[in-house]
Amino acid sequence: MTALWQWLEGLTISQEIGISWWFPFIESVHVVFLTLTFGAILMVDLRLLGLAAMSHPATRMVRELVPWTLIGFAISVPTGLALFITRAEHYANNPAFRIKLLLILLAGINMALFHTRWIKSVETWDQSTPPLPARLTGGISITLWLGVILAGRWTGHLN
Amino acid sequence: MNEALANYLASSQAQEWSVSLLRGVPGLPPISQAIHIVGVAVIMGTAVMIDLRVLGLAVPSQKLDEMVKRLAPWTWWALVVNVVTGMPYIFAQPYRYLLNPVFGIKMACLVPALLVTFSLYSTLKKSPSFWETSNARQLGAKLLAALSIALWITVIFGGRWIAYSDYIFWNE
Repeated sequence: MTALWQWLEGLTISQEIGISWWFPFIESVHVVFLTLTFGAILMVDLRLLGLAAMSHPATRMVRELVPWTLIGFAISVPTGLALFITRAEHYANNPAFRIKLLLILLAGINMALFHTRWIKSVETWDQSTPPLPARLTGGISITLWLGVILAGRWTGHLN
Repeated sequence: MNEALANYLASSQAQEWSVSLLRGVPGLPPISQAIHIVGVAVIMGTAVMIDLRVLGLAVPSQKLDEMVKRLAPWTWWALVVNVVTGMPYIFAQPYRYLLNPVFGIKMACLVPALLVTFSLYSTLKKSPSFWETSNARQLGAKLLAALSIALWITVIFGGRWIAYSDYIFWNE
């Protein structure tokens, strides 16, 4: 793996980003879209928990807001990758960064479980508070994404 | 004026408290910064989402006045949280922020961002159809919403670039 990280760091594009204003620019775009992602996730999850937007059917919240989390995520990933390659070996060995990736993976599994399983019974709870599995999904999702943001910010504090 | 304020803060009790808080509590800087980012996310999910709704780009089934009633408290609480999580940094290093042109840009965009957001919220709360009674008003609402999004994004960029101001202001 070390060879791969060093090869990535050695690319012209990695060095160009790392020493220029491209780094803070890409980092800012990353923040704009990760906050958009989490803002939309938060609204869906609070609805799943039965804590907010109870006047809106759960399915419609999911249908109208999940695309925004996906747009945000689709831009956060390549911008994050562009930041990663500037110091690939450092980030790959950074414990906070590793925890961040693990939490994103868990959040993905949590989301997949919701969309393949818990949402099947939605007709019985679309207008009300969801049953326990769907509520748990919402709570776990908020917790995991908060962890992702914290680990992401912590990554920059470890040198 | 900024220099006088920075001088005043630098010799104040608040400066000592903020430094000992940020240095003394293990993990407080990344934790408070992460909370600050969550506050930004709440602004994106409320104020910016309402702007996107005005532009006809998001949540078509939600009514604007209902959105404002439901989401406005979240916007203002996020603002409070971000003032609280941001202030200790200004108190601890007043020169780093108050004499930094990028911090100035951030604040110079934050104030109109709040004003535009507040005026959209308050007009919609008072009369849900305020921005629909004529074509000119519809266009006006869309322009305000686009301006609001542009200002909030500039605030985020400003916040992030405070640490990199040397890249833009080479000669400072």
